[in-house]
Amino acid sequence: MSEIKLKSIIKNFGGNSIAVDNLSEIFPDGEFVCLLGPSGCGKTTTLRMIAGLETPDSGEIFYGDKTFFSSKTGELTKTENRNLGLMFQSYALWPHMTVYKNIVFGLEMQKKSLEEKNKRYLELEKLFHLENFRDRYPSELSGGQQQRVALARMLAIKPSLLLLDEPLSNLDSNLRLEMRSELKRLHQSIGCTIIFVTHDQMEAMTLATSIAVMNKGKIEQIDKPMEIYNNPKSLFVAKFVGSPQMNIINSEIDNELALCLSKKLNIERNQVKNFGIRPESMKMVQQNEGDINANIETIQPTGADWIVGVNIFGKSIFLISSDPPIGKENDKIGIFFKPEGCHSFDSNDLRILKN
Amino acid sequence: MISSNSNNQNSAIINFKIKFSKLLQQPTILIGSVLVIILSYLVIAPIVSIFSNSVSLTMMDAMLSGSKDGEFTYKYIDRVFASSVSEKIFWIPLKNSITVSFFATLIALVLGLILASLVTSTNIFGRKYLGFLLIIPYMLPSQAMATAWLTMFKNRKISGPQGMLESFGITPPDWLAYGPLPISICMALSYFPFAFLLFSSALSKIDIQLEEVASTFGAKTKAIWSKIILPLLIPTTMSVLLLTVARTLGTFATPYILGTPAKYTLLSTSLYSSVRSNDSGVVAVIAIVLSLIGVMLLLVDIWVVRKWQRFVTVGGKGIKRQPSKLGIFRMPTTIFAWIIFLIAALGPFIVLALSTLMREPGNFSFSNFGLAYWTGVNVPGMDQPGIFTSPEVITALKNSFLIAGSASIICGMLGLLIGYAVVRLPGTLISGFLRQISFLPYLMPGLAFAAAYLSLFAVSRGPIPALYGSISLLILVMVVTYLPYASRSGISAMMQVGPEPEEAGMVLGAGFWRRITTILAPLQKSALIIAIILPFITGMKELSLVVMLVTPGTELLTTQSIRFLDFGYTQLANATILIIGVVVMISVLILNRVTKTNLASGLGG
Repeated sequence: MSEIKLKSIIKNFGGNSIAVDNLSEIFPDGEFVCLLGPSGCGKTTTLRMIAGLETPDSGEIFYGDKTFFSSKTGELTKTENRNLGLMFQSYALWPHMTVYKNIVFGLEMQKKSLEEKNKRYLELEKLFHLENFRDRYPSELSGGQQQRVALARMLAIKPSLLLLDEPLSNLDSNLRLEMRSELKRLHQSIGCTIIFVTHDQMEAMTLATSIAVMNKGKIEQIDKPMEIYNNPKSLFVAKFVGSPQMNIINSEIDNELALCLSKKLNIERNQVKNFGIRPESMKMVQQNEGDINANIETIQPTGADWIVGVNIFGKSIFLISSDPPIGKENDKIGIFFKPEGCHSFDSNDLRILKN
Repeated sequence: MISSNSNNQNSAIINFKIKFSKLLQQPTILIGSVLVIILSYLVIAPIVSIFSNSVSLTMMDAMLSGSKDGEFTYKYIDRVFASSVSEKIFWIPLKNSITVSFFATLIALVLGLILASLVTSTNIFGRKYLGFLLIIPYMLPSQAMATAWLTMFKNRKISGPQGMLESFGITPPDWLAYGPLPISICMALSYFPFAFLLFSSALSKIDIQLEEVASTFGAKTKAIWSKIILPLLIPTTMSVLLLTVARTLGTFATPYILGTPAKYTLLSTSLYSSVRSNDSGVVAVIAIVLSLIGVMLLLVDIWVVRKWQRFVTVGGKGIKRQPSKLGIFRMPTTIFAWIIFLIAALGPFIVLALSTLMREPGNFSFSNFGLAYWTGVNVPGMDQPGIFTSPEVITALKNSFLIAGSASIICGMLGLLIGYAVVRLPGTLISGFLRQISFLPYLMPGLAFAAAYLSLFAVSRGPIPALYGSISLLILVMVVTYLPYASRSGISAMMQVGPEPEEAGMVLGAGFWRRITTILAPLQKSALIIAIILPFITGMKELSLVVMLVTPGTELLTTQSIRFLDFGYTQLANATILIIGVVVMISVLILNRVTKTNLASGLGG
């Protein structure tokens, strides 16, 4: 079993805030794990500590039976000896080396023969459609081609663990979609463990087999993507995942709405600090036929569906409808809540389990 | 109790173990620490030594007064500021320095501003070429202008061959030949390109939209310049002002060549004569005063820059200003700009070259021309061999190449190493210390720094031998003086590369030396070449820094030219300066080819 085990990792860069705060987690073998979170949440630091580019202040990192780092025994495996693949947001292709030189660099470090290098290069060339690029320099390639070279360079030494630091964020949206499926195919075909850092929740949802949502140096929740979406453990996770964002209703300020939701969820209102409703969990019905009445404020068609802004007793919220709205701006309608998309959070911003 | 003790010990060992493995993986800390130790000695020791020299008795004075060598004394401070000789060695030179700096800076500033405006924003003829041609005076050694002036305006007051004007029968008055007027003019002509460069770059950075908005309100060109462009140039003006003043104060060649005949002394020449008369206490005090003025000017500059920071305009689409049409003024302004080029750049060259080709000054008959001063075995009336056969010149040429060459190579590599340590150890003490200390020599004028080195290396101290009179001392002092430029460009070069290329190699199994040689070094190749050529150029024309450290046998081309002048061999001096000029020009051309950019960023000192 070559799972990655992090034990009480602490990393501080000498500022006021702590970069990684007592992090303990196990990333199972063969998983495609996404570290998801806002900038500054410690996700890249975590990745760089696994790679050995940063050293934790304390804690332990194991990979299978290898100790990458331990502040208990003082062991520290050099990055050079960790046998992993790492891809940067900027790709970090060496501008003074050709595509070929870039890709076989790792094999050269392992003192492989010319034959072996050429053989592996041809395999990778084919896999990543890099024919004819052998003698080009990175500056002569397009963004997508550079990305593929970076992938090939990383995979040349057949690492068993891949670390990707926002590798898709420099691409335009079409290319990103293409690369996403390429990465997914790659994971399925080579079956190694991948840890992927991103702040883009769409990327995380589509790629990962499990998502770890990070906030302030801690993992708030690690689960399968749909589990993260359907059952967020905290208000932070609920708000961070999903677009448009989950509507948050304060149970003290937004009286009527909170009252209606507590009835719907069969929960005592004074236990709840905030309610959350996914935009797609609301259905527009005729006035007085739903759980509560509302005014339509705005209608934004996106082509595939409609984002409708409604006002319920002074609180503006958004809903997504795949059917055309039943009214127009300023019309009165009714709203029906689907209970599976409604959540409640206590005063510690933790989810209250549904009965 | 015991167990907790052993626990503590254990954790100390473990901590050490982790640190040691980190060190093996990334020996930057090691490199940084070594640099800290070397630089501390090379930069701080001279400063400490000069401060201690200023207040301790020299052996000679101790013997005379019967006290102990090195005893604490106010004697030298007193001698400089409040004794019967202080008028002569300090107060008058100070007054003269201020006068000359004021006028030189004023002229340089005005010339620079006018020429920069003409070249960047108007349709004068040949603006494309003027942009480069007007920087040439900056590349010439500072004594070129002064010796050219002397060759032209010299009168019978001093020995040696006739001045050119005199040979035509015009005797220039003393005030035109020597003293404050020619010194100010020559300094201004040497330093205006600096103002020109800074103003040009500031002008091209001003967002053109700011002007376009004004013109939509009906502002004419004149109003745009007076209400928008000129006010936006205030911060640049302040910087030019302060840096030019600092430069003029530290210049030695011009006042030495043009001031000495009229007994017109500046602080720099006064310091030099104190060195010549071995008065190390007085040398220390004057050097400290010069450095303090330098520090003060720099602090004011930093303060000004910070204060005017909000003036820095953000954005702009990089649209070039449309050159405004000068109409009937086009011809006069064009003539003006080209005349300045003629006087400041081409003129000295022609005057110097002519003087070395004419046997008798002022006689333009064909038979009077010849190569005697260059190739002759025995130059008429001088009892000296010509330049190409003179053993002194050949030694000086070798020394110049050896000293400037080694200094620039060491300096360039040191700069990149410092850059590496500073950038890769962010937030550490080592990084901050290296950044600060490598900048420190910038605060001291070359003359003061040389004085400090003189006092430090005159005798052997501990394991370090007495280096006075050796080539290594000259190399060392050059390396340290140019370090501020080298380290700053090293830091910015390293910043641009970022850690990723190296980390990518690390992940693929490349060890430290492997990463340095196959990834970092090729990436920094052009930065390294620039970092070597720039100090080489400055080193080839360096005078004030080395003039008091050379001894017979370690003369450089620059100091050799001064020796020739001292003996009245004007033509030989001029020829030597021409050689320097040619070497510098070739280096600049190589540099241009390597960088494909202009020199605005680099040529300091």
